[in-house]
Amino acid sequence: MALLLANHSSYPRIGDGAGQQRLRRAYAQHERGEVTSRDFEAIQASVIQEIVQEQAGAGLDLVTDGQIRWYDPISHFAGRLDGVKINGLLRFFDTNFYIRQPVVVDRIFWKEPILLEEYRSAQAVSPKPVKVILTGPYTLGRFSIIESSRYRDVPELVADYTEALMKEVEALGKAGATLIQIEEPSMLHHPGDAGLVKVALTRIGSRKGSARLLLATYFGDAAPLYEALQGFPVDGLGFDFTYSRGLSDLITRLGSDKAIALGLIDGRNTRMERMEEILPTLRKVLPKVKGSPSYLTTSCGLEYLPRDKAYLKLKHMAAVRAEFVGRG
Amino acid sequence: MSRAKLKSLGIDLPILPTSSVGSFPKPDYLVDARAKFAKAKIERKELEDLERQATGYWIKTQEEIGLDVLVDGEMYRGDMVAYFSELMPGFEQSGLVRSYGNRYYHKPIIVGEARWPGPMTVGWWRYAQGLTKRPVKGMLTGPYTVMDWSFNEHYPDRRSACLALAREIRHEVEALVEAGAKIIQIDEPALSVRPEELPFAIEAMHVVTDGLPAYFILHACYGAFDTIYSQMLKLPVDNLDLAISHSTLNLMEMFRRDPFTKDLSVGVLDVHSHEVETPETVRTRIERALQLLPKESLWIDPDCGLKTRTVEEAKGKLISMVGAAKRLRVEAGAN
Repeated sequence: MALLLANHSSYPRIGDGAGQQRLRRAYAQHERGEVTSRDFEAIQASVIQEIVQEQAGAGLDLVTDGQIRWYDPISHFAGRLDGVKINGLLRFFDTNFYIRQPVVVDRIFWKEPILLEEYRSAQAVSPKPVKVILTGPYTLGRFSIIESSRYRDVPELVADYTEALMKEVEALGKAGATLIQIEEPSMLHHPGDAGLVKVALTRIGSRKGSARLLLATYFGDAAPLYEALQGFPVDGLGFDFTYSRGLSDLITRLGSDKAIALGLIDGRNTRMERMEEILPTLRKVLPKVKGSPSYLTTSCGLEYLPRDKAYLKLKHMAAVRAEFVGRG
Repeated sequence: MSRAKLKSLGIDLPILPTSSVGSFPKPDYLVDARAKFAKAKIERKELEDLERQATGYWIKTQEEIGLDVLVDGEMYRGDMVAYFSELMPGFEQSGLVRSYGNRYYHKPIIVGEARWPGPMTVGWWRYAQGLTKRPVKGMLTGPYTVMDWSFNEHYPDRRSACLALAREIRHEVEALVEAGAKIIQIDEPALSVRPEELPFAIEAMHVVTDGLPAYFILHACYGAFDTIYSQMLKLPVDNLDLAISHSTLNLMEMFRRDPFTKDLSVGVLDVHSHEVETPETVRTRIERALQLLPKESLWIDPDCGLKTRTVEEAKGKLISMVGAAKRLRVEAGAN
């Protein structure tokens, strides 16, 4: 029962420390036309290198590019597909963070890889494997506005978003991505649609090649869906334990054939968890998980925290694992 | 019922009273002064003089436009939660957190017992009310929103943080009432984000308002109101101000299922749009609300604070709003 340390997904792109505001400044200058797109990209790349090394330095086994180039989890991928325009701001679940809402105006069509170069460039500067993050087709569909007569409802959108994700996953797998995380937070708010997500993941999984697929849910209680999720065609399941009092007992009771990403560290609060809040759950749950490797991670992406606290959370996660491994 | 309460408080308002949600755009000289103050290039007194000047401008402007219940415009605030958390012991400011795009803010952290430090808004209310004979609303951010928009390193859970904040915020409400405020608006934009937490948000509102002689308005926006509507009627306030002018909610159906029992402030101006609505557009929105509730129960306002608009846009929008409301009053024979 290997337990790896993984960054969940996003990471703060600026900080309050020396030199950590350069992306914010460059962004504003780029918008005003004072910095070229090429120079702006170079600054983004340098920030990604910095935060990939920051994660590795904190002791993580698996890092992400921090989604530094993403405007938000919805519009970054959806907005680069044919047939999709981007609209105004919409609150992202119960956070104080806002996404830009996709408007589907024509047939959703994937014409070329969207995240491939982002993955390659991050992996090239990372001393650790880079996990790729993709927002899943159901969540993309739920956040989209339909303005095309081609689509009548969310399931029809999901079918074509799935088609796009199949091609993206195939390209990523061929490029060497070993772990691809598909995020479906919306499913927890519409549990009746879990079957739709399962069908989508079956199609996406058919193109993954040798990559492993991890289905991540957060911002809601996954316990009511836990048994059903064990039947999903993915290699691992990621859970946000901060929303679910019953989940750890449920996993302990039912076990898991799949690997689990244990989101036990709160990614939305600056308070550092006490060891006694985390270790008993790890000791209880992990022996019941057959899938391997499992991951210790935060409950969600870390962009909801300031940079200094996000880094401390990762360091703290490493300390928790050391304590866990040391004493068992 | 609530109109009788207003009368008992000595407030006599026309039907379809017009008001604003709270914030107005800051004039350029004040934006510059705030930037200089942040860099310690000017003294606090110089900044406050300009904040008073800008408050005076907005009181005069609201009177000229013809609004019935005025606001101070929040010239002294940057952010609706940060303003209070910077004054209250028990809070620290975090590093920068992204809100969207290239926008970042310092999110408060609750690090100890939150304490009321003495009046935080009363001086500004007194100043604004001293400039006009029309009623000026007292304006506060509610405990649920302060809790939800802060990190919590001190209280064991969200409920206890919210209730502790409510006890402190009540002191501010009491101070406003003592100073003479008759209408007090409590802003709770976060109210609907976690429907399962609404019971303790209501409990907290009881702590803030119970037994106090004022007409309370609760402003909420960004709402998943369809899921929490029936429970919202339990909030101990007189008026619910809901950002619903552009909502696709079937209010008719919601109101049929659970009859609306309070006054309703209807947001009829889209504060996120640069476009200045015509009086006809505003009129259509008011008429839609009049299909749901009697005119005696409706207040008319923008759907949120106008601070993100330019001064000219904000004024243009308010002129359309007041014009439409006055016209409808005349037609109803109740000018």
